[in-house]
Order: sequence, then C-alpha cells, then structure tokens
Amino acid sequence: MHHVVLERWSRGESFLHARDARVKVVVLLVYLVALATTTPMTPIAGACYAALVAAAIVAARLPLAGLALRAATVLPFAGTFALFSLLAGDESRALSLVSKSYLSAAAVLTLAGTTPLPKLVRGLESLGVPRFLTLVIQFLYRYLFVISEQAQHMRMAALARGGGRLRMTHAAGAAATLFGRSYARAEGIHGAMLARGFHGRMELLAEARLGPADVLFLLGGAGLATALRLAMGTLA
Amino acid sequence: MLPWDSVHIPDGFLSTPVWLALDVTGLPAVALLARRARRELEEARAPLLGVMGAFVFAAQMINFPVAAGTSAHLVGGALLAITLGPAAAAVVMTAILAVQAFVFQDGGILALGANVFNMGIAGVLAAWLPYHLWGAGRHRRTAIFAAGALSVVVSALLAVSELLASAVPVRPAALAFLLVVFGVSAAVEGVITVAVVRGIERLSPRIVHNATPERSWGLAVCGAGAVLLAAAGGLVASTNPDALQWLGGQLDILGRVTTLFAAPLAEYRARWLGSPWTSKAAAGTAGALLVGLICIALGRAATRPRSA
Repeated sequence: MHHVVLERWSRGESFLHARDARVKVVVLLVYLVALATTTPMTPIAGACYAALVAAAIVAARLPLAGLALRAATVLPFAGTFALFSLLAGDESRALSLVSKSYLSAAAVLTLAGTTPLPKLVRGLESLGVPRFLTLVIQFLYRYLFVISEQAQHMRMAALARGGGRLRMTHAAGAAATLFGRSYARAEGIHGAMLARGFHGRMELLAEARLGPADVLFLLGGAGLATALRLAMGTLA
Repeated sequence: MLPWDSVHIPDGFLSTPVWLALDVTGLPAVALLARRARRELEEARAPLLGVMGAFVFAAQMINFPVAAGTSAHLVGGALLAITLGPAAAAVVMTAILAVQAFVFQDGGILALGANVFNMGIAGVLAAWLPYHLWGAGRHRRTAIFAAGALSVVVSALLAVSELLASAVPVRPAALAFLLVVFGVSAAVEGVITVAVVRGIERLSPRIVHNATPERSWGLAVCGAGAVLLAAAGGLVASTNPDALQWLGGQLDILGRVTTLFAAPLAEYRARWLGSPWTSKAAAGTAGALLVGLICIALGRAATRPRSA
C-alpha cells in the first residue's frame, strides 16, 4: 500500500531526512509557488524545475524511478484536462498543466518521503496550523490503516459467505457496520487516552530545533527556486 | 467506476489569484470552524474526528452497485455533516484533504485552500442545509438524499468554476460532459448516503440519537450561502463565454437569460483581464471575505433571538 512505502521511505537517513520539518515545508512552498507562477511553462523551464526535484530526490537517497512512478497518480486528472486543452487547440496549456501538476506532486512526495508524518504535522503546527486540526490529522493517519484493514476483513468475510457482488442494502449495511465499529473504537481510544493523562497534545521525544544546516538548507533551497523563477521570468 | 465523484484540484491548475484568494479565505475559515467544533464537542474529541476521517477513507473500499454493472463509492461529506454536525464535519473533511494532499498526492498543496473550500466548507454546509431544514420531519429521506447530492454538486461546480476562472480551456462539449458526470455522481452519492444513514439508524440508534445536534440557523444560512455561491460559480463560468452561450443555445429558454448575464459580464471581464493579477487577487479575496462576512452577519442575526 502506498502509505506503507512512504512510511518506510520517511524513516531513512540522509541530509534531507535530518532537516527540520518546518524548513522543508517552507522550501516546498517556495518551490511550488515558483512553479505555479511560471508562465508560460517552456520545456527549458520544465527541465530546470525537474532537475531541482531530481536533485532533492537523489540527495534524499530515495528511489528516483519509484518516486516518479508514484507521482504519476496526478496524471489521470491532469491528462483529462490536458486533453480538453488539446481539443481546444491550446497545446502549450496542455503541456503546462501536465508538467506543473506532475512536478508539484513529485516535490510533495519528496517532502512526505523524507519526513515522518508526526514530525511533518508538528512542523505544520508550529507554522500556525491550529492544534485541534493537526490532532485530527494525526489520529486520522494513525487509524487509517487499522480501519482499512477492518474494511478488508469485512469484504473477505462477505466473499467467503458467497457475497461476491453486493446489493445496495448489503453494501450500505457493511458501511453502517464499519461506521458503528469505528465510532465505538474511537470512544474506546478516547477513554484509554484520557486514562493515561492525555491533555490534547501529542508529545514528541525531542522538541525540534533549528540548526545551522537547517538555515543553510532553507536559504539554499528557497534561494535556488527563487533564482530559477526569476531566470524563467526573463527568459519568457 | 465513475471518473470522479469528487474533484481534487492538483497544483498547477489554478491561476495565482484564484489559489491565493482561496488559501487566504479558506484556511482561516477552517481554523474558525475548528474552534467551534471543539466547543460543540465539549471535550477535546479529536480522537473521534480522526477515526471518523479514517472511516471515510476505509468506506471508499466498499463498492456500491449502480445501474448497468458499474459501481461507485461513498464520498462522505454529507454523511459526516449528518452524523457529526457541520463544524466537526468540516474539520474532518479538511483533515482528509490534507492527508490526501500530503500522503496520496490527491489534490495540490497550494490548491489545498481551494479543495478545502469546495469540499470541506461549501460541500459540507450545502449538505447541512437540507438536513437541517427537513431532516427531522416527514421528508427525512428526501432531505438526506438532497444532502448527499448537494454536497457533491456544490463542490464540483465550485471546482469547475475555479478551473474556468483560471482560464483552463474547457470546450463547451467537455463542460457538458463534466456536468453530466457530476449530475450522475451527485444522484449516486444521494442514494448511498440515504442507504448508509438508514443502516446506521438500524444498527446503532444511539449514535444517530447523538447525531442529531442542536439546530443552528447560522450554519444553515451559511449553507444557503454555499449553494448560492455554487450557482454564482455558473456565472463565473461565463468568463468562458462561449461555453455558456453554447449551453444557452442548446436550451432555448436559457438563451435569453444568458445574453442578459453575459452582456455586463463581458465588459466586466475585459476590465478585469487588463488589470494585473494582484488586483484580481485582491478582488477575489474581497469578494470571498464579503460573502463570509454577510454569512456571519446573517447567522448572528438569525441566532440572536434564540439565545436571548
């Protein structure tokens, strides 16, 4: 499953893995803004932006081919609208839609592949995202796998009892059962957490601190993306 | 499988004024709703909301049979609004969209504000509106169907009008195709939502009893605002005037209405397009803020007599 692979990637060791989550988020945002505001998206500009992401992926020691393949999840959507653009006779727009969305997805994957989600969420929190929301995100991610597995078990059980193709009421019953079980599980979790002194905040073992390497990465990454954007602006 | 029942806009699709305006307005709105949800749910019920988000992910693995051998899955915005209340549902939807954007590359990061606005805020409020108005009465089932259908239609229409406002070229025929797809997805989501809510009522009546939260007129008014905004999105679609004119030509009755709206808008658009994007962004933000303020003001006015 996709997020299991990401989970493994994000526990790796490299220069990028070791950087502070906040710094990585800011550099990602600068890169995305630079990419989004580059118009028109020439093949040269696309190649330069792609080189920047590729450099980050290599620096993070992530599998380039595997990541490139996973970033392709945006292609069905982007491809459809690129097709619409082609039908409307706007070829450069079609190219720009596909390349921009694909490179953005690859950049986000690089962040997600070098930052475990708890650290990423904590970074977002200290960048100003409300704590209640980050808590919900953390619980969602924590139980995503658990509840999905339960859904899979239910499907298996239905198959074993000859329920190959469900009727509407059966499918609705399955969803309602899953809902009830999730709800009950949530109440159990909440009670257990309260009993263990949960006070509305996940504790990390070590508080993140900005080091000189983080500042260097921030200046380097953001500077490079900005420089690229400015260069493309004059080229265009 | 239908092409999309929910439109997650990736990065690189929206023009800068559009994503900037929606990030600036959508994300603080969620922060506001998060505070409200926290109040409504008494204690910090973050675990419940998180697990419900995980449930929506998992429920998408259940295939619901649709006519002619195809199947669809639950989108879930309306179900969350009905079971958790609108503020909590908006928070859960935002968390889902954030995880989808960061972990699954389903929807962009810069476009997160837009996606949160379409699905997490407008979609949830549009679902809340019919349920709030008619959910307790004789027409409960119709209200739940309308909730499911409206949540999908409103978020899809907003997404498409944002794409059109960003000058993504969509030919009239392609637009018509998209509208048909959205119409079908909306009906399917309505049917699925009715079936699942009935199932929940039978299996765990305790939850549904909990799940009929206090009636909030303020949020209902916001819901009406969301529906209106999506309708106005149709007008934004006239930044792509030939699409609207083509539709108008197809439906003769609409023809007159179209020219009525298209004439002033064409001039408006010309003035708009000439200006730099900063002023467009400012105009977009101002417009969204204005709608937000009107919603809040109306909501306050509507709730005051009840609390006094």
